[in-house]
Amino acid sequence: MPRDANAVDFWRGFALIEIFVNHVPGNFYEQFTHKALSLSDSAELFVFLAGWSLKFVVGPPDAPAPAVRLVGRLVLRAYQLFSAHVVIVMLAVAMLAAAARLLDNPLILEWFNAAAVFYEPVETHIGLVLLTHQLGYFDILPLYVVLLLLSPLIALLDRFNQTVLLTVSFLIYIVSLITEATFTTWPTQGEWFFNPMCWQFDFVLGFLFARPTGAGGWARRNLGWVRIVAIPILAAAAWARWYGFELDPTLAPEPHLLFVDAKSFLSPIRVMQFLLLVAAFSAVYPTIARFVPPLVSVLSLLGRNSLLVFCLGSLLSLALQIGRFAVRGGIAFDTAAVAGGLLLLYAVAAGHEWLETSR
Amino acid sequence: MRAGRRWRTAIALALAAGLLTAPLRAEPPVETVGTPVPPECLAPGVEASSTVPLPFVAAALKSRNRIVVLAIGGSAIGGRPYGSRDYASVVEAFLERSFKGLDVQIVQRGVSGELGRDVAARIRLEVARSRPDVVFWQVGTADALAGVDPEELAATVRDTIRWLRDHEVDTVLIGLQYVRVLREDPQYQATREALAEVAKAEGVLRIRRYEVVETINRLQKPQEVPASDAELTAAGYNCMAEYLARAVGSGLFGRKESEPPPLPPKAPPPP
Repeated sequence: MPRDANAVDFWRGFALIEIFVNHVPGNFYEQFTHKALSLSDSAELFVFLAGWSLKFVVGPPDAPAPAVRLVGRLVLRAYQLFSAHVVIVMLAVAMLAAAARLLDNPLILEWFNAAAVFYEPVETHIGLVLLTHQLGYFDILPLYVVLLLLSPLIALLDRFNQTVLLTVSFLIYIVSLITEATFTTWPTQGEWFFNPMCWQFDFVLGFLFARPTGAGGWARRNLGWVRIVAIPILAAAAWARWYGFELDPTLAPEPHLLFVDAKSFLSPIRVMQFLLLVAAFSAVYPTIARFVPPLVSVLSLLGRNSLLVFCLGSLLSLALQIGRFAVRGGIAFDTAAVAGGLLLLYAVAAGHEWLETSR
Repeated sequence: MRAGRRWRTAIALALAAGLLTAPLRAEPPVETVGTPVPPECLAPGVEASSTVPLPFVAAALKSRNRIVVLAIGGSAIGGRPYGSRDYASVVEAFLERSFKGLDVQIVQRGVSGELGRDVAARIRLEVARSRPDVVFWQVGTADALAGVDPEELAATVRDTIRWLRDHEVDTVLIGLQYVRVLREDPQYQATREALAEVAKAEGVLRIRRYEVVETINRLQKPQEVPASDAELTAAGYNCMAEYLARAVGSGLFGRKESEPPPLPPKAPPPP
């Protein structure tokens, strides 16, 4: 039996839908995702919830999972994610190649950072497997794989001392921001879009806030006043976002990354805004569950089947981008494509769950 | 027979281009800025780039003999053929050969598929991080494919150019690529024209990759089996790098470098 609808699955489903919509850049519905009014976006939410879910593997503090079993499960999960990533990347490459042939347009080969696969295949295939070469919009799973490979260490450090875990994670984060250290790409020269040294902090925060003690305990005890503080700050950030007000990054003191809005490095301003967003919107779930139960049911279903939905959503987004170009689609195309895509994601998630439960 | 005629044409074109740029080569310290582009990149009748001075690059060259280039927009690897260097490396090597003792540092931040508005936001951040003297911005292809309004893109590019100028950074726009199937595509052509107008109005260097490759394609047709689109794309990258290197070199002195080579002599009618 699938687990009941809950807030974590609901918000994960919400993040998955937004990622699907945002990965078709230029489409009409992109402007209605929460990034239009927020510094942080669905990526922060997705990684935070991935960290939150780690608590289910680690087990409660009074009955923790055996260490060997814990490490084995997490490494196996990382391998599953890696396999899924490799499969969808290969499918994406084939889709781009087929589209280039059908539309007689080699520019499509260069879309999504795929040119190197065709023009420098020897090095690039090594890079694809080593995750040092990532297609555009196919860059979250490599981060997730790295985070899951780190997660045994995170879980064991948590058992030793939560404060040590938070301190180590924060130090790695701050050092990366100050030194601008990141993972580089190869064979193309560049950087990972999601710097794992910074984004691990979001993952660890998700894990720690999910725990009943430590940071999680503190957050639960102080949630009331944090929400009161959060509202005006979130409103101001939304206003700034809506009107395009942005601090000139060159005016920020050194080291710049501590003060500017940098998604790749998950700069502190994004983390703070995101945590306040979580604090504020965690109050909303019970109301939604009470008044719109079908919405909770649908989003939780997507959230429960997140890997499948994410992979299918990534390929659908790519197909829709190619389709938008091929037919020069406008709002009507976007409406049909987004609605059809969401229906398909729901149908596949429901079908998968039905198969799992009927075995 | 055909191969021989092609070589003769190429040599004639190379000599013509060499004569055109010969006076520049005589002036120190430039050694290679005036060298003609490779024969396969010659596009007679087409001006490969506007001629615009690059004051902030020139100032950096003068004050510290070191320039920092931010390469952003498309993937640096582009459609280059296997084993060849990416365009930024070509420019780096060319400038370091041309200006003795010059250190060119290329900061690669290319992400294919990224829309102009997202790149514009990243440019501001990267200027803070890397403090470049010039930005090489491959712009327009992703937006044209994604159906972004050309006027919206033009406004984004215009604002970014002005912001860069205010922050003492030169801009080089690298225009759209030539693809036969998109010759009649209204969105693609409108994007190309909008970017050309912005470059002209703002007085920034624009590498006319589309026009150059279109001409190369047109000239190749009667002589040989027409090049495939993939070959043209590769040629576009190689030639873009060659023209870009020379345009930056001449932009350092603010002088005319990229005049179009003369039209080739009419080929005799096929037997």
